[in-house]
Amino acid sequence: MLRRMITFMQVLVSGFATGCIYGLVALSFVLIYKATETVSFMQGELLMVGAFAVLALNVGAGWPLWLAALCGVAGMVVLGAVLERSVLRRAIGQPHLTAVLLTFGLGMMMRGSVTTVPAASHSMHRLPFPFAGETLTVGPVPVAAEHVAVIVATVLLAAALTLFFRHTRAGLALRACSENPRIASLMGVSVSRMHTLAWALGAGLAACAGLMLAPVTFVHLNMGLIALKAFPAAVLGGMTSLPGALIAGIFLGIAEAIAGLMLPEGVKDIVPYALLMIALLLFPSGIGAAFARGGARLAR
Amino acid sequence: MTGQAPTLRGGFARRVGLSVIVLCALSLLAVRHLGLDYALGQLVFIFTYAIAGLGVVLIVGQSGQISLGQGALIALGAYVQTLLVLRGVPVPVALVLAIAVGCAGGWIASLPARRLGGLYFAMSTLAFALIVEEVLVRWESMTRGAAGLLVPDASIGPWLLNATLSQALVSGLVFLIALGCCRRWVASRHGRAWRAVRDDEVAAAACGVDVARCKAQAFVIGGGLSGLAGGLYAHWIGFISPEQFGLFLSFELLMLAFIGGARHLAGAFWGALVIVAIPQANALLRDLLPAELARAAGVEAIMFGAVIVAVILFRPQGIAGGKA
Repeated sequence: MLRRMITFMQVLVSGFATGCIYGLVALSFVLIYKATETVSFMQGELLMVGAFAVLALNVGAGWPLWLAALCGVAGMVVLGAVLERSVLRRAIGQPHLTAVLLTFGLGMMMRGSVTTVPAASHSMHRLPFPFAGETLTVGPVPVAAEHVAVIVATVLLAAALTLFFRHTRAGLALRACSENPRIASLMGVSVSRMHTLAWALGAGLAACAGLMLAPVTFVHLNMGLIALKAFPAAVLGGMTSLPGALIAGIFLGIAEAIAGLMLPEGVKDIVPYALLMIALLLFPSGIGAAFARGGARLAR
Repeated sequence: MTGQAPTLRGGFARRVGLSVIVLCALSLLAVRHLGLDYALGQLVFIFTYAIAGLGVVLIVGQSGQISLGQGALIALGAYVQTLLVLRGVPVPVALVLAIAVGCAGGWIASLPARRLGGLYFAMSTLAFALIVEEVLVRWESMTRGAAGLLVPDASIGPWLLNATLSQALVSGLVFLIALGCCRRWVASRHGRAWRAVRDDEVAAAACGVDVARCKAQAFVIGGGLSGLAGGLYAHWIGFISPEQFGLFLSFELLMLAFIGGARHLAGAFWGALVIVAIPQANALLRDLLPAELARAAGVEAIMFGAVIVAVILFRPQGIAGGKA
């Protein structure tokens, strides 16, 4: 009985950690969608490229891990801004599908570029985090240090984002711009700069998620597929609520982990989509609206 | 606003002339570089993709819905066709059933549209596709899961379609029939209703268009075309497994429609031509580029991505569309 409880707790923690990553990717997706009305289908690729950038700086160029991580994420922020300035800007005001295909195309180009590097495409890589492979014991429950690190990092990132959105000029301007771009621009906010900022932040967040995913699943070409689980999270969270996306991501991560424990093999992978379908059909606007209302309260 | 009329008037003869010249040049190039048999094999895939592309054009370009799950509808057609033919059902009969299952799949995929709009609906089609793919992988007693199924050669009565020439003729003929049907639908009151829904749902409803039914109709017909393409594809490729019909195929078809021009039926053909030609162009390029770069596997993905990005940026109406 106790052993089963411990297994259950372990599954819960690992689901929570996976959910945090889903949530962060969903967060980056919603951040971009809210500010620019652009549906980004390349968050997974941004995540993968971010992880590879850190890997290249750390293992390839021999920089210390903290410096590589910092520069890798900063590099992705710049990449996001550059892509917005050069290409993604054109998708504004177009139908959703145009943006979907445009970002999907850019994602393919990124993926292809990484594939052309033989060292990257042929094997799985590991980032040498100091805590990799260790276990912590919380009460009677042994949990993997990676999972704890992911959860802690998510909490820190969420706190930093909250501070940014509430207490900095840029954060407030970005929020204003997401709420109503026309009025924001009348108040002196440069809407086009805010679009660039949103993409830069979105790319940076995706890179952070990639960095956090690295100790859990290794760094490899297909690690971006995790973004496919982040879409249901973003939709469940109501598409326009940042806390909603994070919470929905964690919810899906836990639901998936529990399904993996209880249900036959293979069911686990479709649980997020099944939940998404049920939620969409039962509450076509309800769950999003409910989350958004709760989210607005949280954000205030 | 109307899909076809302006292009018909605006220099129709010039368009046809240009198309014929381009096609002749391309086929000459293809036959010279790839050999006749191989070029015909590619033509088979162009027609098959174009049939599926017609479905996307109807759903996306005519009725204005986003479908991220087209690959799953093709998978349904391909699996139904294969499973039936393996059990001894004649190919044409199986093909009809594949179309029927494609229609049914399209209808199911369109159900959420009754309650959801825009992006939420797009996500539900994505969920539909991923669930279908997972079922195909897990239902091993029926589909042999990820191991896949071998598909026998197609035969119509006494004729065995194992030569590329006969395959090209059959798929070309089927494409032309499908194109003819689509032209009729697009020109009919159903087509008008689709375009009305695409341009403004509320206005369409106010004019007495049953919006939900209209969307479902587009999906049923689009699904049927996908099922047809899937049934043919299974025979031509000779082996099917769930991973061939994943998200990438769905996006490939969307790209196809966008590259060709989602608002025009002819766009399906032009898009299919580009989509099938990209890997060939890549193979040609491989001889020109330095060996170090050419051997790398990612060049094809970069080319796909670059083509779709370039089309959206520089020719948003696609090849078949004018400069609107």
